[in-house]
Amino acid sequence: MTPALLRRSYVEATPRERIEALADTGSFREILDPFERCSSPYLAEQNIVAQRDDGVVIGRARLAGRDVAAIAVDGRFLGGSIGEIGGAKIARALERAGEGAFLLLDTGGIRLQEANLGLLAIAEICDAVFALRERAPVVAVIAGSVGCYGGMSIVAALCSHIIMSRVGRFGLNGPEVIEQEAGIGELDARDRPAIWRATGGIRRVEQGHADTLAGDDLDELAGALRAAFAAEPNRERLSLERLRRCFAQEAPA
Amino acid sequence: MRGSTWARALLEAPCDAGGFPPSVAVCDGTIAGHAYRTVAIVPNPAARFPRARSGEFGLDEGLAVASAVRGAPAGAALISIVDVPGQAFGRREEAAGISLALAASVAAYVDERRHGRPLFSLIVGKAISGAFLAHGMQSGWIGALSDRDVEIHVMPAASVARVTRSSAAEVARVATVVPATARDIATFASFGAVDAIFDVADANAPEPNEIEAIRAAIDRAREAGLGIRAPLERLDGPQAARRALAREVRARIDEAW
Repeated sequence: MTPALLRRSYVEATPRERIEALADTGSFREILDPFERCSSPYLAEQNIVAQRDDGVVIGRARLAGRDVAAIAVDGRFLGGSIGEIGGAKIARALERAGEGAFLLLDTGGIRLQEANLGLLAIAEICDAVFALRERAPVVAVIAGSVGCYGGMSIVAALCSHIIMSRVGRFGLNGPEVIEQEAGIGELDARDRPAIWRATGGIRRVEQGHADTLAGDDLDELAGALRAAFAAEPNRERLSLERLRRCFAQEAPA
Repeated sequence: MRGSTWARALLEAPCDAGGFPPSVAVCDGTIAGHAYRTVAIVPNPAARFPRARSGEFGLDEGLAVASAVRGAPAGAALISIVDVPGQAFGRREEAAGISLALAASVAAYVDERRHGRPLFSLIVGKAISGAFLAHGMQSGWIGALSDRDVEIHVMPAASVARVTRSSAAEVARVATVVPATARDIATFASFGAVDAIFDVADANAPEPNEIEAIRAAIDRAREAGLGIRAPLERLDGPQAARRALAREVRARIDEAW
């Protein structure tokens, strides 16, 4: 454990800093960087300023010497939502990946402003993860302040390994959406301790839904990422027998 | 019960497969002499999870669809009948990890398709968000009924307004200028996401000639090997002009990779 003053926080780092810190030193080469000006044409109409990387950073990097695709979703831009461009970037990076991929998922899921284009992109990303994990590790890291939600939580669940921090949350529907759809009696979106207890990293690892728990520390996460690449893929996570047991525990009496 | 109506009507000599919860209708039968299994999510007012009683895709539905897909008879193609108002929104669902229920279903479909089992989908009602991702979107061929209750979107309008700090009126206005946020099947089809749209007089009561047209289209798609196409392959279709941007992004990545 690094002394507190020397620790570098993952939450406070930008997506590019996160990739740089997790990959082999100096190995990251970004593709379609902001200078390429690949930004969403659908946002101006909705009074939103677009971002020149569409909130998704991709490229090639080395991880413990392996040639991998590095992917990071920028949770600061529209809640880390996935639109047409960001979705295509993720899907293509996974399809081009040589010896594996890591995805830093700080995302609320489909970008509502590009709704059905995001939906189509996530169907493609699911297929791409599945194809890649048959031949190489695909590791998801959920350690940002947004968490991993919506369609992208399905993507995470398909990965061969999931690393979470205590800060990270992993669920399908965000608390605000549940409160809107089902009422405050179902869930109070302001009750943060309850939300973290139910969907945070500690709980998800305890349940066996995620594989590794780490602190909010770039060096610790970098170590966990290397260990995940060296480990056998988790083939149990989506086993129907295991899920049946997990779900039964939540059934109403 | 539109889903179970079509799950049976589409097949010649349909036979209900046993062993599934009441919220998942599974039928085995044939079309033009070839074996098919249809899978539909249907309302079950007695479902043990209260937030999944109106046909939503919940925890038990994910497990049941995954096992219906993986356990389909050898040689049978699959048809996902899509009429799902959404995933189950609930506290229990989130605590249990409903993402994994949807992922188990996605994994079953992708795995079967990659092993050569053709997947078809027929959208007969709502096709919403994660529920559609988990049930229908991995098919190599997707057809839909032309009906005003057929809707494709990612979140109910009221929730979109809340989450985006907007208003219902603004959400409705945006749908008229940003096609990706529209909810009708014709606009969704314009992205190359739907292979055929079928006119029906009453989507709740299919006529024999309407069923014949859909069976014939599925049989042609099977014959042409379309059922094993991955989602990406739709990008190359002639109707996918509105997704030219995604195609361009892919090409630029390939140049730089």
